[in-house]
Amino acid sequence: MESTILFIYILLAVLIGFNILRLVTFGKGLSFPESLAVSFGIGIGFISLQMLLYHFLNIKFDILAMIIPWAVLPLLNNLLFQKNKAPFNNLSKPSQPKDTRFKIFNICLWIGIIFEISYAFFRALIKPIESYDAVAIYAIKSKIFFLAKSIPADYFGAFTNMFPHPDYPLNIPLFQSFIYIALNSLNDQLVKVIFPLYFLAVVVMLYYAIRRFAGHTYSLVFTFVLASIPQFNAYAANAYLDLPLAYYSFASAIFLFEWLRERKSFALLALSAVMAGLAGWTKNEGLLYCVVSVLSMLVFFMFNFEKMKWRYVIGMVLYAAIIFLILAPWMYIRTRYHLVNTDVGAISLNPLHILRQSHRLGPIFYEFQKQIFGPKKWNIFWIAVLAAFALNFKKSFTGTLRYITIFLVFTVSGYIFIYLISPIDINFFLQKTWSRFLVQFLPIAVYWLAIILKKDVKE
Amino acid sequence: MKNNIFKIAFLIWAALWAWFIVRDLLVKDNIETYKVLAGRDLEGKRSYITGDRLYEFLKYCKNNMPEGARYKMTGLEDGSIDKRRAVYYLYPSLELNEPGYVLDAQNYILKKNDGA
Repeated sequence: MESTILFIYILLAVLIGFNILRLVTFGKGLSFPESLAVSFGIGIGFISLQMLLYHFLNIKFDILAMIIPWAVLPLLNNLLFQKNKAPFNNLSKPSQPKDTRFKIFNICLWIGIIFEISYAFFRALIKPIESYDAVAIYAIKSKIFFLAKSIPADYFGAFTNMFPHPDYPLNIPLFQSFIYIALNSLNDQLVKVIFPLYFLAVVVMLYYAIRRFAGHTYSLVFTFVLASIPQFNAYAANAYLDLPLAYYSFASAIFLFEWLRERKSFALLALSAVMAGLAGWTKNEGLLYCVVSVLSMLVFFMFNFEKMKWRYVIGMVLYAAIIFLILAPWMYIRTRYHLVNTDVGAISLNPLHILRQSHRLGPIFYEFQKQIFGPKKWNIFWIAVLAAFALNFKKSFTGTLRYITIFLVFTVSGYIFIYLISPIDINFFLQKTWSRFLVQFLPIAVYWLAIILKKDVKE
Repeated sequence: MKNNIFKIAFLIWAALWAWFIVRDLLVKDNIETYKVLAGRDLEGKRSYITGDRLYEFLKYCKNNMPEGARYKMTGLEDGSIDKRRAVYYLYPSLELNEPGYVLDAQNYILKKNDGA
């Protein structure tokens, strides 16, 4: 019975996300499976934002009070976009015809992908939330919200500092409490279903993103590669938030890259900005992806300065504004209640301090190579990335691909910067985080690898 | 040439992938854990992952303290996973100053704190 209710409410979240997606994309949309994958994350993000808004308005988390307001969306969509039923011209369908060769190979890839997805669901649902951060940081918060049927009035003032990391955003803890409220029980086993669903959604998005420039088999190969990376699959089951963040940062990045390629549709930019904003609402590291996206756009302006158009500038302003709008309520709370990271504390951005910290580069690169050449977590993925980069260095910085390369370079630089400015013992910090940070941009790296190898591989 | 490199790399990938699955299930003995978990209900699973003895003790404390009671816990290292799980399961009771109860998780004793 609980599983049925859970299924209905997950479906409702997808439906809400689907309608927001239609609004954001001006009534257009993506192909159906990709729409579902994107709608899932949007639905979760906006329901949790709604719950934060209810905190400001002093409204209790009643399931009907949370669902009913969204009913206006389908009506609004029908009213506004009745005539506009066509999906994006350039995004709706894979541009490559479906090849019928390699039938057996394709079947093997399908089996591999389905196995990995099923295994992720199995591992997530066989036990309740139990891993360290999942219990100490996220599950405790969702339990507090569920029992209070609200974010308690004194939560940010007094409560939150009793638990680690009061500054961590509340997207997933709030959605978990939404599920508990829907189930009317604190089932911390069933609630874990959202993590393999994020995994499934990333896999679907990656397949469709690659299908826009490559054939079915080629897309399946890279989809299998992502799904079968042990660390990525493990994070689909442990209720940590690195995989949901990977989902949002990937969705944001692919729609941004698509806009940088076609440079026309504001809808793509809007969708990318929404996903970037939700990345920041999922984990603090998500803010890095917001900054990296904006920086990548600035690089685009630099390369296209002579062909600059006003709509590019307007696009960028809108992009930043959407991110700001999504993050503003949480940033307001963080500032008002002085919520700071219990581990990081007061960070110094003094250039002299950063320079003095440069001795940390040794341990940083040592840990990097440990992850790159250690196949237990990553198979040979990072070795393949390094080899592809070395062999295609020039190509990495040409055409639209250069923005993806630059995006990744900015991302890794951002993490290095965090390691440099943090007062935490560097070896401890690296051991605890780097293999998780890699998960956060892994789908973007797989996408980059698929593009860069495309011309080298005959299908 | 590049096509062949791609094929070889993919074969290595697939071989390692198969080995990692076998390792995860058989060498790490996860199958045994899954078997045990599959035979338990939600409470039983919580108990298994927390440790049956500790979980029983936490349940006993929860049932014998008023809801929202203040407690002090000893016998579990601060910041350890066991302590975090204990705090999670015991909520809405909280570990605060002037505790009404003392939980000795090493000897599994719950005491009323008369000095509070």
